[in-house]
Amino acid sequence: MKGVRDAGILLVALLLQATLAHRIAIAGVRPDLLVAFVVYLGWMRGPVPGTVGGFCIGLYQDLDAPGPFGLNALSMSVVGFLVAKAGFRVHRSNIGVRFVFFLLSMLVHDLVYFAVDTAGDAGQLLRQIIFSTLPAALYTALCVLLLLRLVEQFSGRPLLADEV
Amino acid sequence: MLRSLLTRRPDWTVFITACVLSIALMLLPGTAQMRVAWFLQHVVLAPVSVTVDAAERGVSVYWENQKLRKRLAELRMEVDALGSMREENVRLTRLLGLRTSAPRDFLAARVVGRSLDRLGGSLTIDRGSEDGIEADAAVVTPDGLVGRVERVMPHGARVLTLLHRDCSVAVRLTRSRVQGVVQWQFGDLPILELLYVPFQEDVKPGDLVVTSGLGGRFPDGVRIGTVERVGLAENGLLKSVTIRPAVRFERLEEVLVFVPGAKGVYPEPPTIIAPAESAAVPADSAAVADTSAGAGAAPPKPAGGTP
Repeated sequence: MKGVRDAGILLVALLLQATLAHRIAIAGVRPDLLVAFVVYLGWMRGPVPGTVGGFCIGLYQDLDAPGPFGLNALSMSVVGFLVAKAGFRVHRSNIGVRFVFFLLSMLVHDLVYFAVDTAGDAGQLLRQIIFSTLPAALYTALCVLLLLRLVEQFSGRPLLADEV
Repeated sequence: MLRSLLTRRPDWTVFITACVLSIALMLLPGTAQMRVAWFLQHVVLAPVSVTVDAAERGVSVYWENQKLRKRLAELRMEVDALGSMREENVRLTRLLGLRTSAPRDFLAARVVGRSLDRLGGSLTIDRGSEDGIEADAAVVTPDGLVGRVERVMPHGARVLTLLHRDCSVAVRLTRSRVQGVVQWQFGDLPILELLYVPFQEDVKPGDLVVTSGLGGRFPDGVRIGTVERVGLAENGLLKSVTIRPAVRFERLEEVLVFVPGAKGVYPEPPTIIAPAESAAVPADSAAVADTSAGAGAAPPKPAGGTP
């Protein structure tokens, strides 16, 4: 049941990312709903599904990505794994915690991605982080919080529930 | 050792494996990367790609449709505006054509007010004595006679249309040359009545009625309308003839006012007006038309129409 639900959420995230994300871009900054899904997977399902899910989704992104093939798979795997490890026993229903997790996940993802992509050029990496990653991370966190709020209000139960 | 790692720390094992695989993919030569990518795209992830592509196309079509609908609405509004301007242009061109046929004797005016009755028995125009308009001047459109100026103000004038009881016109039929006086038939319909036509005269439905020019107030040969119905009056001595006016009084927006020339005679009738007739007619039979109420405001002008 959980697998079907997660597949459904992934499909929705994929569709939204493909159809809506570039339409709501602000000054070229668009939300990354696939990173958000990996965060959800790692957070709710644990490190193994988080890592495997992150790897597969990253690989899918790599098919069209301009960077080295496999780089998205690596950064997404890291995100899935770290979120699962760090998010153990935290208040997932807390809006502040959610915001911090989504924000940090985006930062970690882009840090790994640009660190490899810029081949360790610190200046370029800093520029990318400041001008690309931070706005995208903020925008993604806000969009995902809004989306979660809508879904949870509509369904009547939390999508990111606290551990019992 | 590997087995114990897998059983004791599966999360780390999976993570390390994912990292190693990712790095291995990055280190693969270009052709091998392309092969892997092709395999993933066309075999493993084909259903996902197809679904996402289809959704993207669908949403793109939806957005484009919305944009095109909006554009269509804008263009429709633009077409409507252009249509309105085109109609105005046609109207003004016709007026200009009328005016250029006798440029010295016509003055174009815009209708700025109407009487409150349903038929629009009187109009207010935006030209007055400052523009050279005098009382009793004839008012026309390319369709035919509108009426006469009743009262003149410095920058405006009141025009009595043919649908006013105080506006009578001496007319004749172009076919049989029968003469009479046209007056509005009291009622709610824009119908005129041809008066003083003896019962033996030749009048048929469809006959064109034009001004006769008798009395000198209206120029000769200006279209009034067409005969709609012919009957016998109650006294049995005269015909009862109703006329459908040529002018749509409720749609008037611009008119032309005859301004008498230096010699005090009306100009040659414009070409678009009914065919000119030059036969001389006895003045006394139709002069009664111009003795209607309010006619005394201006001195009678010489009759004769076409010089």
